[in-house]
Amino acid sequence: MASQDLAGKVAIVTGGTRGLGLACAHSLANAGANVIITGLNEERGADAVQSIGASTRFVRQDVGKPDDWPTVMAAAAELGDLDIMVANAGISNFIPIEQMDLQAFRTLMNINLKGAFLSLKHATQAMRSHGKGGSIIMMSSVMGRISAPANTHYSASKAGVRLMMKAAALELGAENIRVNAVLPGLIHSDMTAWLDEAETASAFVPVKRFGLASEIADTVLFAASDRSKFMTGTELVVDGGLLAR
Amino acid sequence: MTPIDDLKDKVAIITGATKGIGRSTAILFARSGAKVIATGRSEDAGAKTAAMIQAEGGEGLFTRQDVTSEADWKKVCETALSRFGGLDIVVNNAGVFMVKPIEKTSEDDFDWIYQTNVEGTFLGIKYGFDAMRKTGRGGRIVNVSSLMGQVGFPGASAYCATKGAITGLTKSAALEGADITPPIRVNSLHPGVIWTEMITDQFGGDEALQQAFIDETPLKMIGRPEHMADAIAYLASDQSSYVTGSELTIDGGRGAD
Repeated sequence: MASQDLAGKVAIVTGGTRGLGLACAHSLANAGANVIITGLNEERGADAVQSIGASTRFVRQDVGKPDDWPTVMAAAAELGDLDIMVANAGISNFIPIEQMDLQAFRTLMNINLKGAFLSLKHATQAMRSHGKGGSIIMMSSVMGRISAPANTHYSASKAGVRLMMKAAALELGAENIRVNAVLPGLIHSDMTAWLDEAETASAFVPVKRFGLASEIADTVLFAASDRSKFMTGTELVVDGGLLAR
Repeated sequence: MTPIDDLKDKVAIITGATKGIGRSTAILFARSGAKVIATGRSEDAGAKTAAMIQAEGGEGLFTRQDVTSEADWKKVCETALSRFGGLDIVVNNAGVFMVKPIEKTSEDDFDWIYQTNVEGTFLGIKYGFDAMRKTGRGGRIVNVSSLMGQVGFPGASAYCATKGAITGLTKSAALEGADITPPIRVNSLHPGVIWTEMITDQFGGDEALQQAFIDETPLKMIGRPEHMADAIAYLASDQSSYVTGSELTIDGGRGAD
């Protein structure tokens, strides 16, 4: 990886205080970008900023709440024109259909689907206003293509993100705003901490290990940089071969 | 094209490197410090690619190869092992293109496109696996399929069939490669319309045609071999260390439509 691919670029990573988002923020900052990370937990936000370094700022945000967005966009505008949006914030839980009350369904959808849409919308507004184009990366999942029991809401949200990405790519291509999705498989993070990693990997993952958050960040970096300048509307699968069988 | 640190000192075979995507990939890999074995059928064009590799300060060579020949594959892999001490990367890029309606496609037409595109790729995986096992460093194989290996196109049934075969071949090879220690990753690249001789030989190279392709592409730009080289470098480097069996489409958004 050429080290300063993104020198001087401005990026937002939603859900950037831990897991995949934090790894993405680290990679973008290492490549020279100035990064805004968002999340719900102020303490984790402060820790994340400290671990990444001076060019990074944390803004508290519930991605699914329209009212929380102006502060995020204002913070990014202080750094310059927005070049990169990583719509990463997401939650996961497993609830069987009949036990899922509408509120639980909505809570997940608010973050995973509506949050992704609001990220897309605000990034589009910012990128249109400066007219230089940009790269929007939406975190979908292999669960947006295949599924598992008790995962109706999560799979619906991630399949929704995948297709939303395609619609947006078609709508924004002429303005050189590229929109792509990353589909992680089983990644070592808080979200998968409840799984027996060795057992699950040997049962489901051809390469027999979980991926690392940094391996997702590497792909996000490719999608964020000019090295993928002819790429839009694409699903980047990063899953150790999980979907290949 | 952006050099990739991880490609430094890696040994790579790139087929169809006498022009287009293959040549650009050879140049980018050489620029990144890889040892490139560029192959193809034309000695003259191959010599030009070799000169371009050397102009990048790269250690590499051109060797004549017909990708449908098992003997040629053995020879090329042997060159990697004996001359450069191993094999890390195979880019199965060599391919041919044909536009003909189904009823006008003869058995000879079909065999011709099938042999280069499908058997050539299969042999690259087969002999690549063998040389990579002997090397013992794992490996990365990138198979150049096409957007037409994912969607249909009128008048390109034989081409689509071969590129679809590469898509499937890639996934099975990825599953076998995952069981090799250290693993060999195998992925396919799916370019949209890339402005190369493959296109201009078939349709002519005038500006009006290029503009028509641009108009049809959501990103409103023409794809260039350099764009594909960057994508191949991503798939061939440790920047995609957890990516295997996947399809990477780079088409300016055409496939999303």
